[in-house]
Amino acid sequence: MDNTKSLSDEDKAKVQQPVTPIQTPPPECVNPKDIRLFRDPPWKLRLTIAGDRSYLMVRVVRAAPLSQPSRYICFLDEKNEVIWTVEDPSVLDADTRRILEEELDQRYMTAVIEVINSLRNEFGVSYWDVQTNRGNREFVVRNVSESAQWVSARRLLLIDVDGNRFEIPDIDVLDKRSFGLIDMVI
Amino acid sequence: MQPFIESLPPEVDAKLQSAKPSEEQVLIQVSADFSDDQAYGEKWLVATKLRVLVVPADGAVEEIPLDAIQDVKTEELVGGGCLVVERKSGAPVYLHYSSSLIPKFAEVAQGIGQLSKGKPLELPTEMERTRCDKCGRLLPEKDSKCVACIKKWHTLIRIQSYVNPYRVQLTLVVVITVIGVLINLLPPLITERIIDDVLIPLSNFNLLVWLVAGLLGAYLFSWLSEIGHTALSCWLGFRAAEDIRAKLYRCLQFLPIRFYDKHKVGALISRMTNDADRLEDFIAFEVPYVISNALLLVGIFCLLLYKNWVLTLYVLLPVPPIVLGGIFMWNRLTRFWRLWSARWGRFSSHLNESITGIRLVKAFAQEDRESTVFDRHNDALRQVNVSGNRAWFVFYTITNFLMSFGAFFVWYFGGKQVLGQEFKLGELTAFISFLWMLYQPLRWFGDSYNFMLRAFAGAERIFEVMDAPSEPFDNPNARNIPKIDGRITFKDVMFGYDPGKPVLRDINLAVEPGEMIGLVGKSGVGKSTMVNLICRFYDVTHGTLQVDNEDVRNVRIEDLRSQIGIVLQEPFLFNRTIAENIRYGNPEASFDEVMRAAIAAEAHDFIVAKPDGYDTMVGERGNKLSGGEGQRIAIARAILHNPKILILDEATSSLDTATEKKIQAAISKLIEGRTTFAIAHRLSTLRNANRLVVLDEGKIEEIGTHAELMGRKGLFYNLVKTQKETSAVMAVGGGKEDPGSE
Repeated sequence: MDNTKSLSDEDKAKVQQPVTPIQTPPPECVNPKDIRLFRDPPWKLRLTIAGDRSYLMVRVVRAAPLSQPSRYICFLDEKNEVIWTVEDPSVLDADTRRILEEELDQRYMTAVIEVINSLRNEFGVSYWDVQTNRGNREFVVRNVSESAQWVSARRLLLIDVDGNRFEIPDIDVLDKRSFGLIDMVI
Repeated sequence: MQPFIESLPPEVDAKLQSAKPSEEQVLIQVSADFSDDQAYGEKWLVATKLRVLVVPADGAVEEIPLDAIQDVKTEELVGGGCLVVERKSGAPVYLHYSSSLIPKFAEVAQGIGQLSKGKPLELPTEMERTRCDKCGRLLPEKDSKCVACIKKWHTLIRIQSYVNPYRVQLTLVVVITVIGVLINLLPPLITERIIDDVLIPLSNFNLLVWLVAGLLGAYLFSWLSEIGHTALSCWLGFRAAEDIRAKLYRCLQFLPIRFYDKHKVGALISRMTNDADRLEDFIAFEVPYVISNALLLVGIFCLLLYKNWVLTLYVLLPVPPIVLGGIFMWNRLTRFWRLWSARWGRFSSHLNESITGIRLVKAFAQEDRESTVFDRHNDALRQVNVSGNRAWFVFYTITNFLMSFGAFFVWYFGGKQVLGQEFKLGELTAFISFLWMLYQPLRWFGDSYNFMLRAFAGAERIFEVMDAPSEPFDNPNARNIPKIDGRITFKDVMFGYDPGKPVLRDINLAVEPGEMIGLVGKSGVGKSTMVNLICRFYDVTHGTLQVDNEDVRNVRIEDLRSQIGIVLQEPFLFNRTIAENIRYGNPEASFDEVMRAAIAAEAHDFIVAKPDGYDTMVGERGNKLSGGEGQRIAIARAILHNPKILILDEATSSLDTATEKKIQAAISKLIEGRTTFAIAHRLSTLRNANRLVVLDEGKIEEIGTHAELMGRKGLFYNLVKTQKETSAVMAVGGGKEDPGSE
């Protein structure tokens, strides 16, 4: 937004003077190549920062699972404190990346809606019967037009009454009938 | 049937039978709704007193002997969860399930834990229903009414039920309407006689005079009945609408806090205003005419059939396509108006938020952006309005056009009959008059169709709020405790705002009447949650919370809450006078009592210094007062309320030291003789507490006096130490906010 439109030139010059930005501490300097995720024993996830330290119980989470699903991945220790955040996992070594993907797949149980078999909206409650990437599922959403979350202009996240998550990555890709059904309730 | 013994499909049962000795009794038998960690499907978990078996739909059965189990726990994932059975050696067994089954598996995990430790199995005997018993549909809220089954009552019947209390007036409206309809049928019959008996034979002037007089009389009575009808039906309609609004407001007042956790305030207000307005218009201006127009329709139709049934059939030709079109348009238009209501809700919600937060908007110079967001909502509203009205208008004009076809048929075929002398001219003109009269209610139905659908969409949203389960105020078995002693006991209390995500665990605490308890801990450990449970804003998930040795669920909510006083960090004051705010919990209090409460709260001095003294309006949310002033009024309010149980949730944390001292003095007067729960970040302010309860991760970590806990050098000691260090740093750094503040 342009705050300066009603200011005189002199004032503008003042406003445009360089301001020292607020210093934020840099993230902990860890060389991504030193990070290693592994499982030992096979059901325990561990993380080692080479030449530094090792964590026995680790969890992998997305910092922003909706807007940045494949970037900004955080490693948490047993106390849920962040060990380190990797902005772009592709800098990690291949094994670590594979384990990271597996862990993320397990943690996020969101289903992707592919086809809507039926959708009824009555008394502020919508009844969905859908085909997803995880199989068929029925669910109920209260006040769908108020509670549906638009992640972006065409991407939709639905959270049902129990907290299950269903995503439509692009509503334009849906078949015509499914789109028509969605269009009528949201 | 026991909720934790679910029936098995035959093939799974066969697998199970071969995996365990048949005499071994099944204690837990439940299914998960994920076949592995990725796909929906079924996977069964069976527990006996010797082993746990995991039976997949396809694949081998996995067996874990109970004595090999190290621990059983549930892990929270995003959109679901996972039951983990850890073995003393070897890989754990996992069972994934969706969020819908989190409550069930939380119980199952506890159950298997009990079995593996050799304890008796204690599982709830009932689980909440997730599907409607009648129609099998998923329920929007567990154990709630099925909205789809309620719908069979139908919206119209429910709206009508609000008119029922005014049966006498309604009957009167109907009687006047019937008379009006009958009178309205007279003029065409009279004109028929004028044409056939006077104008065509060109004689009988006397009859003409009588007939014209009759015509005049008919119009006069018709006018009178119209006046009576409108006056009465307006009265009736607005009365009914007022009742609906009152009921809705009452429902909103009595809905549990949980309901407000899920709904936006703006959207709720829109139901109260907009949706109720639509319904009001419908009841006042449409419902009465439904009756009169339906009667008129039937009356005219019978007359037409009587006059000339062949011609009547021609008139009816356009009706089937109109009816079909109407049925098709019903769903389409209803959806549009539902959408309109929902968008209006969002519009109003944004409006509410941005106006309430106007200071913040301005402080960050975001007026333009807020306006853009507003424009977007506004535009969305216009779009659905345009689409809805366009659809309706097309339907309406086509209907009108089709209906006028009837008139063409009548002129053509009726004219032919007159020429063939089968039908008299007067009869034909009367017939055509009746035909136009028939179109009038038909057209009205077309017009009001749109209003009706809009009103129905609004009514649905209103009834949705009314149908939400309210707090159990009317529990007939609840005990009256008009005078509480103030003994509070937590017994094995577990609680989570969402099932399966406990915020408080294993809370055991007995508080004696008059004791002051300080609740201490980092933010988010459950201090405020404990207080919420005492007020019964929420019910415990497990265990019991007792007041005077009675389960709080068996105490009348009114009795309980009327004896609890709360002072919050940011006191909520209503936009009324200071005196009225102090009197809020005790409206009968005399001015003398109000003043004494204010004196005790150290508020009297600043109140009387104001030009209007106790009659000063405090502004919305008390914004004309300073934080400390508002706080002291809230304390005075609590003092006057004279509760047996007092809750101070960060009551002094937002104040400067001088004001805090004054308020501390006020508070120490307030807590005398009352059971008090105080939450404070400045640990030094809790020095006077009889006992301090230190919470960590939802559990009680330490209990003791200030001195005892300091001596123990445990969690509390560390908290105090950190706070001292941070305040030293803060003093150097210019006083940033307390890092742990909630």
